[in-house]
Amino acid sequence: MGITRRDILKAAATGAVLSGVGLPKWALGAKRKTLKIGLCAPLTGEVSAWGLPGLYGCELWADNVNAAGGVKLGGKHYDIEIVSYDNEYLPDKALQGYKKLVAEEGVKMVMMLGGDTWPGVQRWANHAKMLTTTLLPSDLSPDTPYLLAPCEVHPIYNVTGVDWLSRKFPQAKTVAMCAQNDSLGIPSVATYEAAFEVAKIKMVDLNIFDPTTTDFAPIVTSLLAKKPDVLCLDTAYADFVNLISVQAKNQGYKGKIISCTCDNYPAIISKTSKQFMDGFIFQFPDFDDPKLNQKFINFHNPNKFYKDYIERRPGTWTAVSWEYPSILDLWKYGAEIADSPEPMSVLKALKSKPTAPHAFGTAEWWGKDLWGVDNALVGNWPVVAINAEGKARIQEFGSIPKWWDKHSKVLIKHMRARKQMWDQRA
Amino acid sequence: MLEGNVVAVQCTSSALYRPFALYLLFVHLLRHKETSVDLILQTAVNSMVASSFFALMAVGLVLIFGVMGIVNFAHGELYMVGAYSVWFLYSANGWPFWLAVIGAFVIVTLIGLLMERTLFRPMRGNPLGGLINSIGVLFILQVLAVQLGGVGLMKTVIPPFPGSTTILNGVSISDQRIAALIVAIGLLVAMWLFLTRTRLGWALRAVSQDSEAAALQGININRISMLAMGLGAGTAGLAGALISPMTRVEPYMGHGVIITAFIVTIVGGIGSLSGAVLVAVLYGFFYTFVTTYVSGTVAMMLGLLIMLFVLIVKPNGLIGVRASE
Repeated sequence: MGITRRDILKAAATGAVLSGVGLPKWALGAKRKTLKIGLCAPLTGEVSAWGLPGLYGCELWADNVNAAGGVKLGGKHYDIEIVSYDNEYLPDKALQGYKKLVAEEGVKMVMMLGGDTWPGVQRWANHAKMLTTTLLPSDLSPDTPYLLAPCEVHPIYNVTGVDWLSRKFPQAKTVAMCAQNDSLGIPSVATYEAAFEVAKIKMVDLNIFDPTTTDFAPIVTSLLAKKPDVLCLDTAYADFVNLISVQAKNQGYKGKIISCTCDNYPAIISKTSKQFMDGFIFQFPDFDDPKLNQKFINFHNPNKFYKDYIERRPGTWTAVSWEYPSILDLWKYGAEIADSPEPMSVLKALKSKPTAPHAFGTAEWWGKDLWGVDNALVGNWPVVAINAEGKARIQEFGSIPKWWDKHSKVLIKHMRARKQMWDQRA
Repeated sequence: MLEGNVVAVQCTSSALYRPFALYLLFVHLLRHKETSVDLILQTAVNSMVASSFFALMAVGLVLIFGVMGIVNFAHGELYMVGAYSVWFLYSANGWPFWLAVIGAFVIVTLIGLLMERTLFRPMRGNPLGGLINSIGVLFILQVLAVQLGGVGLMKTVIPPFPGSTTILNGVSISDQRIAALIVAIGLLVAMWLFLTRTRLGWALRAVSQDSEAAALQGININRISMLAMGLGAGTAGLAGALISPMTRVEPYMGHGVIITAFIVTIVGGIGSLSGAVLVAVLYGFFYTFVTTYVSGTVAMMLGLLIMLFVLIVKPNGLIGVRASE
């Protein structure tokens, strides 16, 4: 039977109705408007391990959100586009990139690693009234009203690892620590000093090394000479954790190791052994951890996110792979409350309540005592340890606010001694 | 808080001008007087490994400068290419480690020869032009490494000799370091024999001392330049290849190494091979002991201070080329 003229007219009429009124335009694949979010981070250079995997994570997040219909604001659906700029962890490049993202790309928020790259940007960010985020709350001060630390409260969460260590291994009485001499390493030193003091673990050696160090044999020799029960790697760069751990194994160390991060730990295991790395404590879980499926976790479907990420970018997962996406989650939450993507509206919406949904559970806006402004989102943080099978697993979620309530004076004392309080920074 | 921490942290670059910096160093060393023999021996073993690699890097730099009059800023990147070659051949493609090391030597030597023929030879007599060309090569090699290997975490080169050997009670060294040390020392000895016992080696040294006089004696300057560049690049590549299982293999790994190589070369006397080897050994011990007993930051600062001091007081270096060779 052939197609009649009437059939063609029916089909045409049905198509016209569907495309015009029957379904929302986004459901038919019509082009939606795009909101741009900026990532000004080290994508190359020494610190790229804490930038590039973040970009990969953000791209995955944006693809997931866009595939689910985008972000609905003011009755309209928007796609999210991540616009990145490689600041190489250089202050001048960071300012250049920040200006480009804000002035040329028109982004609605800028995510940064912070640290050395923030101070040069601060004045311009204030002038532009741009919502900006950092992973390092030590960038916060009363002069940074538009800067949030909504995910990582580095290095304060390190207290939870030391607290867990002291409870699980009460026989540990001495620690030797090394740290690179930069804005990541020194605040972390102060935090670990406070945490070990509270835990009554005596610090027997501290070696602060240059970030350009290539040979860690002498540093490890120096640390092990004091025969510590615990070796603390502070917030050493991801590659440094690898090299120091290998050196410790080669020089016969058999005690506990605690570190802020342990990115790509399978590579370290391949150079040492599962036995050596068994019990290595750090603060960043793999997102295939079953404990992340608990109800209080706000990160959307972490196990699937991890699986998709590993498939898309094998061997690149680091701490920042989920951190920048979790900031995007929070931004989406704020934008939807504000019903607007405008930076100041989102900021106001986020700060309208004393708490907000952090990746690891509801957390409170906090930080006035340490940074002069309550712009850091602080709550629970996981303590992770590598098990005998060579897999990192969450041991517990430690409460940073509870530790702070008991020991704030100790932390402030060490922060001040290291000149890390906001009023001591230039 | 440890008193030693204060020393380490306060010695930032601004402390360069503090008159008590050296005093603080000695106070700190004295504080370690309870140090054990084990610690000294372990540090000495670490120093030997560091010295041998400093020497390998510096000798190549000196060879290139001595013969061609060019400060090769891309020397650190040749070292990086050596390490990357081992990662690519051994880790990614399963070649035997030593075959990968030889492969790295060949690759980097060929890059050196290409640099000599296309970039440095046309700039002969123009040290500034050669220097700028070498900076260009530096960036090209870095970008190539980024394009081929990506950025992010360092490349994993699993040590082919994963164990450790206890030399004395409390003094241990990884088998990988022992192997690298033996090969590095062997290479330096082989190079010394080549330079002092063979006609080609004599010709190379002759060109290094006075190229015009050497040419008048019938020595082919082009050929010797290629030899110097090939050898210099090859040793840098070998250093990178040997150390790749023990260091951070990433596109910018040449930065720190080239600073050390310059310190050694300048203090030893630019163009002086014996000076470079001597200072590499001394500096290796100095750097490692200061890093162990004080901090790496102080070690690097003092190294640069020594270089500045030598440049002011004895610009030709400890064994300046004009004076001795």
